[in-house]
Amino acid sequence: MKNIPLLIIIYLLIFTGCGQKNNLSFIVGGTAKTFAFWEKTIKDFKEETGIDVRMIRSATQTEMRKQQIFIALRGRKADPDVMVMDIAWIGQLSASGWLESLNNYDIDTSAFFSNIVNLADTYNNQIIGLPLFIDAGLLYYRKDLLEKYGYPDPPKTWGRLSEMALHIQKEERRNNPDFWGFVWQGAQYEGLVCNALEFFGSAGGGFFSNDNIPIVDSDENIQALQFMANCINKEKISPPNTYTDMKEEEARFIFHNGNALFQRNWPYAGNRHNEEGSPVKGLFGITVLPHFPEGKSVSTLGGWHVGISRHSDRKKDAAAFVKYITSHEVQKDMAVELGLNPGRVDVYESEELKSGFFGALKEVFLAAVPRPTVPYYAQISLVLQKYLNDAIAGNQSPGKALKKAQGEIKEIIKTYEK
Amino acid sequence: MKSKQIFQQYESREVLTAYLFLIPALFVIIAFVLIPVLGTFWGSLFRDVTYLPRKFIGIQNFLYVVGNADFWRALRFTLLFTVTAVILETFFGMLFALLLNETFKGRGFLRTIILIPWAIPTIVSAKVWKLIFDYTYGMLNFFVVNLGFSGGKINWLGSSFAAFWSLITAEVWKTTPFVVIILLAGLQAIPQDLYQQAKVDGAGLFKRFRTITIKLIQPVLIIALIFRTIDSLRIFDLVYVLTGGGPGGSTKPLSMLGFEMYTNDLFGKGSAVSIITFCIVFLITIVYLKTGKFRERFS
Repeated sequence: MKNIPLLIIIYLLIFTGCGQKNNLSFIVGGTAKTFAFWEKTIKDFKEETGIDVRMIRSATQTEMRKQQIFIALRGRKADPDVMVMDIAWIGQLSASGWLESLNNYDIDTSAFFSNIVNLADTYNNQIIGLPLFIDAGLLYYRKDLLEKYGYPDPPKTWGRLSEMALHIQKEERRNNPDFWGFVWQGAQYEGLVCNALEFFGSAGGGFFSNDNIPIVDSDENIQALQFMANCINKEKISPPNTYTDMKEEEARFIFHNGNALFQRNWPYAGNRHNEEGSPVKGLFGITVLPHFPEGKSVSTLGGWHVGISRHSDRKKDAAAFVKYITSHEVQKDMAVELGLNPGRVDVYESEELKSGFFGALKEVFLAAVPRPTVPYYAQISLVLQKYLNDAIAGNQSPGKALKKAQGEIKEIIKTYEK
Repeated sequence: MKSKQIFQQYESREVLTAYLFLIPALFVIIAFVLIPVLGTFWGSLFRDVTYLPRKFIGIQNFLYVVGNADFWRALRFTLLFTVTAVILETFFGMLFALLLNETFKGRGFLRTIILIPWAIPTIVSAKVWKLIFDYTYGMLNFFVVNLGFSGGKINWLGSSFAAFWSLITAEVWKTTPFVVIILLAGLQAIPQDLYQQAKVDGAGLFKRFRTITIKLIQPVLIIALIFRTIDSLRIFDLVYVLTGGGPGGSTKPLSMLGFEMYTNDLFGKGSAVSIITFCIVFLITIVYLKTGKFRERFS
């Protein structure tokens, strides 16, 4: 058996893999355009500092991205060093002790949206992340149609929205049977929780009180959820597949093709609606979401933050890279080239962004609220998704659904509070 | 036959060689089946969330799962789905297999195209069915409205009843070909002269089917049933794409319940669900094997 040494070598190669060079790794997800942008940024960074950065392209779906990062962190892997994280994971990541405090690396955070840094990126008085780009729910409306039917302004309250939607939907259906008054995200997934937080918050409700006590079955929430269900089942201004199919892209398609009057969506939809060849280019406007008479407008905060892994073996270089990609210049390029909304307030003041789409967004971001930042948020979201979806599907009354959700959320808290 | 008797026929050297040949297969089974199953069981005994210390909690995860209404709902859906799908697949599978066993023009062509659904990856066919069932742009609603079957569009995945039957339709379409192939193989193994003799003895078409076809096809039928049942009990991809478990969690199978727990970092509870699913599949397989009397038939 003279081949045994060869066999051993082959096995070693198979089971150990070719060793990775120990460079700084940066995990980020997105489209081909996003990756091209980051490749360019990494090159510029190397020219400036001499530090090599390896980009890890993460999955397309948010839940897959999360798993990719969580598996590495659970296994205490030194890679990835720098990661781009959904705002909804930060509570759990920081409570698990996986995020390096940025306080030791001389990073100036004063230029960022302070409400966002305080609410989402601070854990035990330490800054553990920075907003790379941010999102918040917006109301898109068709300027031309409101004008055509004699409405000078977009609606300020939900009641007004449904009045306008009913009227215009009825008229438009004469020529376009596929026309809908109002599209939003109601499928059973995280987006539904974001939408619900906006409806609930604008009625004066919410998921948690300021001292983190669940208030899911409050009267305000019940009223708001009833409104959501009514849009689909009673007024029928939202399509019946809202609670089965409607996610961001599904809603965007309908509005994009000129088949909806109002749309709730994230800022990215506006970039797509403004592209060359879009049927609604120039015909739509954006504004803050409506509210109930007794409340004020609320937008759910979304977006992606950048942080450094506690297990990283190159924390100093990692901090330099974080500093670089959150610098004024890179943030501005990101806004101009990718249409993403920077986490730095000062970028919105720059000449390129001051007017137009970005200018209008700044006010919305200043008033945006995050989802609960408790470490077990993922489980609470699952419970909410289930009952919210069941209620807007008309299978159970909003009051009953929220009462059950409240009960289950209390159980979860009891299990995991120390 | 007991294993001791089997070995007595051979010399010890031959037995040793036999074991040597078995080692690679055994290694694969142990490394990729036995160890993961035991590892999952071990994991199910811990409280395993990332933000709290790992703690041994005995069977508490199992108690949680069994006390959870979602689990019973998922179990009910999984069993109902499996029974319905397997019955329909067997019925249509038998029908097509009998048809394709006859000699007629174009049989070869038909035998080929009937396999297409089985050859397409589930995730792809599920996406296509999703388009067919789509409320706004779906083909089904296009026909329903334009041919005047219904006044308005139907939300095919919108109620738990409609979603269930939409899933069954897609599943039966996809997996009937598998039953057809297996049954067709069984049918072709039946000697034609049996039918001739039965004819001479005056047995009618239905009697010939009952006494010859059904009897002789039974072993293959059981194999098809085992495979289909186990596969349906583990249904995941089709549901994931078509309904995502909705509306309101009414079409969520056990596998998706476990998946949800894993993706939300409830590794202990997710493991408990997986172990329970494993036990159910295991039990049903044993029942099939016992009723199929495989030992007598194949030894």
